[in-house]
Amino acid sequence: MGKAFDPTLIVDFIPTLIYYLGVTLQILAASVLLGMVIGIAAAILRLFRIPVLCQFVILYISFIRGTPILIQLFLVFYGLPAILLFINIDISRMDALYFVIITYGLSNGAHFAEIFRGAIKAVDYGQTEAAYSVGMNNSQSFFRIVLPQAIRIAFPNIANSIIGSLKDTSLAFTIGVMDMMGRGETLIAATAHALEVYLSLAVIYYAVVLLFEKIFRLYENRINRHQSADVSATG
Amino acid sequence: MTIDILFIWTAFKEISRALPITLILTILPLLAGFIIGLAVALIRIYKVKFLCGIANGYVSFFRGTPIIMHIMLIYFGFPLLIDQISKKFDLGIQSNSIPIILFVLTALSLSAGAYLSEIFRSGIISVSNGQMEAAYSVGMNSFQAMTRIVLPQAIAQSIPNFTNIFIGFLHTSSIAFIVSQKEMTGAANIVASTNLKFLESFIAAGLIYWGLTIIAEGLSFLIEKKATAYNRGGVQ
Repeated sequence: MGKAFDPTLIVDFIPTLIYYLGVTLQILAASVLLGMVIGIAAAILRLFRIPVLCQFVILYISFIRGTPILIQLFLVFYGLPAILLFINIDISRMDALYFVIITYGLSNGAHFAEIFRGAIKAVDYGQTEAAYSVGMNNSQSFFRIVLPQAIRIAFPNIANSIIGSLKDTSLAFTIGVMDMMGRGETLIAATAHALEVYLSLAVIYYAVVLLFEKIFRLYENRINRHQSADVSATG
Repeated sequence: MTIDILFIWTAFKEISRALPITLILTILPLLAGFIIGLAVALIRIYKVKFLCGIANGYVSFFRGTPIIMHIMLIYFGFPLLIDQISKKFDLGIQSNSIPIILFVLTALSLSAGAYLSEIFRSGIISVSNGQMEAAYSVGMNSFQAMTRIVLPQAIAQSIPNFTNIFIGFLHTSSIAFIVSQKEMTGAANIVASTNLKFLESFIAAGLIYWGLTIIAEGLSFLIEKKATAYNRGGVQ
């Protein structure tokens, strides 16, 4: 550092850093989408107890929940090229951004799988029976009756996971991704004002998280609009 | 590039030497966070004037920013603050004589406090008000009712959340390697770069974290069984 703390720099740095918010949101959007696909597939494999694949999913979820995201990031970054080299695909020059998206997608997938599974199981079986009684078949009762209710139950947890994932993206710079944090590091190298850079970053992250929370709360109210008052007050 | 299976074991032994620092970085912040979290939760539940606003802001900020921010802000901010104060009052304390681990511990404690306060709050709220009334009816005062009746139940109910937080902070401690703390991820990084065997080192580190997580989950299950032994719901 060496130089004195200069609060005006916090404001000066924000425009430079916010320019890279796009990269952060891009990582988030891609990894959430990937996570949704993996999560739904994994939840279905577990709910219907598909042999072999089901055990594989349990192992996958346990591993993701049992190791730090930083370790997962390094494992994908160094491991994926090594695995793909066995089938003669060289991805060692691939942009680090894709490794980050794959890691966060895998991590989100494991968390989403557990959330979906819990939510689907939380829907009373009487609902399925009621659907059958009016002549729906398996897939109709699942997609029209069970799933919409499960999504309502899962939503607050999904929202929490997405916000957690947004904060986790701040570690992507460790494998050299130029997101907000990565740009912050170069800004520190150029100006030696580390504290001001991190304060600007904190302001941006905080603002984005607050915005996300607001949007999620509005959406949650929307999907709960048909619930009677006493249920939505507790749920 | 081939994977050197034997090196995973070598790295495993090397990295597990950093296990104590990882555990220190996990447990001390959680202990400090326990006290901060309980205080903050009580302030927010009883809506203590003035303090309540600060508590709300603290919890919201720490839950709204990535933990690496907390580490970096304190790592770069505190030395500046300490030097300024020291200069003003002629204390003769130099910030660079303070070990880095103290800054990391402070940062992690503050974030643990914010997360734990939410757990305490939901735990305390979930204990039915009738319990408080029952305690009053046998002549306890508010403080006795809180510490003898409500808190033990709230804490027993929060055990699954405590396990999640413990595992979360076990994993979070890996971020400390960015400010060159030689905890497990830091050790893995050193082993990786001195031997140029990155994948093997991180596999070893991953296995240790995974093992610790599974042990923590098992222990939590046993504690939960013990703590809730006398709780009978309507369906049991």
